[in-house]
Amino acid sequence: MPLGLIGVKVGMTQVFDDEQKSAPVTVLQLGPCPVLQVRTMEKDGYCALQLGYGDKKRSRANRAEQGHVASKLESKRKKLRKAAGIEPAPKADCEPQKHIREVRLDAATDHTVGQVLKVSDVFGDVKFVDVIGTTKGRGFAGVIKRHNYGGLRHTHGVKKGWRQRGSSSSNASNRGSGRPKKGIRMAGRYGAERVTVRNLTVIKVDLENNLLLVKGAIPGRNGGLIMVRPTNKK
Amino acid sequence: MKNKYMALVEQAVTRTDLPAYDVGDNVDIHQRILEGQKERVQIFSGTIIARKGAKGREMITVRRLVQGEGIERVFPVNSPRIAKIEVKRSGQTRRAKLYYLRDRVGKATKLREKEAKPTGPTKSKKKPAEA
Repeated sequence: MPLGLIGVKVGMTQVFDDEQKSAPVTVLQLGPCPVLQVRTMEKDGYCALQLGYGDKKRSRANRAEQGHVASKLESKRKKLRKAAGIEPAPKADCEPQKHIREVRLDAATDHTVGQVLKVSDVFGDVKFVDVIGTTKGRGFAGVIKRHNYGGLRHTHGVKKGWRQRGSSSSNASNRGSGRPKKGIRMAGRYGAERVTVRNLTVIKVDLENNLLLVKGAIPGRNGGLIMVRPTNKK
Repeated sequence: MKNKYMALVEQAVTRTDLPAYDVGDNVDIHQRILEGQKERVQIFSGTIIARKGAKGREMITVRRLVQGEGIERVFPVNSPRIAKIEVKRSGQTRRAKLYYLRDRVGKATKLREKEAKPTGPTKSKKKPAEA
């Protein structure tokens, strides 16, 4: 998979594209993302970059979060390992990060820990992207909202059940088993799940402010964490 | 509070070369129209009866009478296809949407001209850019 970046959904607005037509766009703010760890085939069995997004106050970060990015932070374990001759892992030496995600890669790259990735490094001339986000949580939702059921009629003798589903099945369609088929769609928790929207057109790239304008909507609320990568669908 | 990145994007879309216009004004909208390879400018003149949206998303509804038949067009004012907006007359209005003009015919559609305020600092109107 191509290298992507972590960022935030800023919100939606409208701009005019190259053909002077108005386009609905979502503004994405991506990076700068420091590389916190490099996963390699030899050591980890897969290739990936661990990226951070957003600085956290040092006073707000716990020791593990601080130690993950700082090479100078001493600990008893580190001392013991040093005494045993084990080289400590390289650290990015940046501020503690609010969000940390791994971006899988097909092959090893020459990125090093501590390198800071910006929009210009990844999306300089990219035309189409995939956006991964978390959808808004709907709580316990009925079948109409959750599965696009049509609901029942409001008249003709339907009793207080317009938003219910109809019959789930019959004894015959269940082959006389006496219980409904597996996978019958019912009401339940809906939303707050990871969704990938693929092949969105990039309308504009703002290298200076690390902004990406993509055409159309993406999952999640404004301010929600997202991951963006060049698409492999085109 | 509006996000600063959002403000940046919207600011880039919003045109600054348009004159100050308001509801009730009589305007000429110069619209660039592509006909095959050629580009020409079409003028639509009428009264602004509504403004909708803010900044880069603003739309204005312009109404004019053609042979007794009312015609309304909605323009995205920040579109690059709008070559120019000329304010011909400023009408005195007491409301933000002049939808009541749709029910009127003839002389009743005329708006009283806005009187220039005699004293005090008037609302500074942006000058149209020289072109």
